[in-house]
Amino acid sequence: MSGSRIELDSEKVGRDLVALVLTVVELLRQLMERQAIRRIELGDLSDEQADEIGTTLMMLDQRMTELCEQHGVRPEDLNLDLGPLGTLLPRD
Amino acid sequence: MTERDPETSDADTIYVFAVCRDPDPSVLVGLSGVSDESPVAPLSLGALTAIVQRVRAGDFGEEAWEARLADSVELERYARGHHDVVSAVAAACPTVPLPMATLYRGAERARQALADEADRFHAVLGRIARHAEWGVKVYAAPGPRDDGNQEPAVPAASGDRSRPAPGAGLAYLNRKRGAQQRRERCQTEALRIAEVVDVEVSGLAAASRRLRPHAQPPGERRIQVLNATYLVAEHRAEELGVLTRALRERTGAQIELSGPWVPYSFVGEV
Repeated sequence: MSGSRIELDSEKVGRDLVALVLTVVELLRQLMERQAIRRIELGDLSDEQADEIGTTLMMLDQRMTELCEQHGVRPEDLNLDLGPLGTLLPRD
Repeated sequence: MTERDPETSDADTIYVFAVCRDPDPSVLVGLSGVSDESPVAPLSLGALTAIVQRVRAGDFGEEAWEARLADSVELERYARGHHDVVSAVAAACPTVPLPMATLYRGAERARQALADEADRFHAVLGRIARHAEWGVKVYAAPGPRDDGNQEPAVPAASGDRSRPAPGAGLAYLNRKRGAQQRRERCQTEALRIAEVVDVEVSGLAAASRRLRPHAQPPGERRIQVLNATYLVAEHRAEELGVLTRALRERTGAQIELSGPWVPYSFVGEV
């Protein structure tokens, strides 16, 4: 029967959707991170404020890694190829 | 239109591979072109000669092409058939390659249409005679790994939601900042190298074109920063090889040189 095949496909669709959601969350996290770095460079933040923001971003980063592991998504899957525009997130 | 009638048009469709000057007919022997049914043959246009093959119209209709474009094996077979003829002719005399699937209904039509463009062909032949096309691709070395993730894993147990020690957040942001700066430096440096290579190679080329860099395929760590093609005189080909090696050593970048090719990229604009 084709039952098992449909099962597999829906699993894949689910994983793709998780990867997409995580990609968008990671994009936002990285944007916040860049904004924080920019503000540190401009001298906008006190050390305490920078530490506070940094701690939050670091914990989000860790949480992100955990979520990826839980859902079997590799970190390099968290990206979108935008063709001539390159990739959504910078690659190392 | 009666010409569209498959009965008559089938018998009389002309596929044109190239236009050239004084070809040696012996180079066409043994070439199969894009059809098994008739030989690849010269078609005189006066001062110029077209290299043509009689094909079935049905094999080259819009539908047939769409089916072929979707079938990479079949498409490759045709592309190679076309390319083999163009390469063989170009090796023997100045040649303007025509795009794949240049078709005319009947030899007389082909002769007339190509003769109308004779001025353009003469101009292109003047430009590309004794020149070849060379491709140059420059790859930036992969940037340093983002070491922001190699921090001494702060809370050991996953699920430990306690806040890390004071200062850890600041240190984290500083690591990220360092990684970001390194990445930006690498990008700037890679683009600078691309410019240097382009300027230097253009210096010994008759013409150049920059193409869009290829997207990075999955698993490829290198980033293509220059994808350009140059029209280089035959007698300067050796110089080009020497220059490429020198640029590799000087910049440390990976530079791929490919060619000589039939100068497809330089037959369009006149």
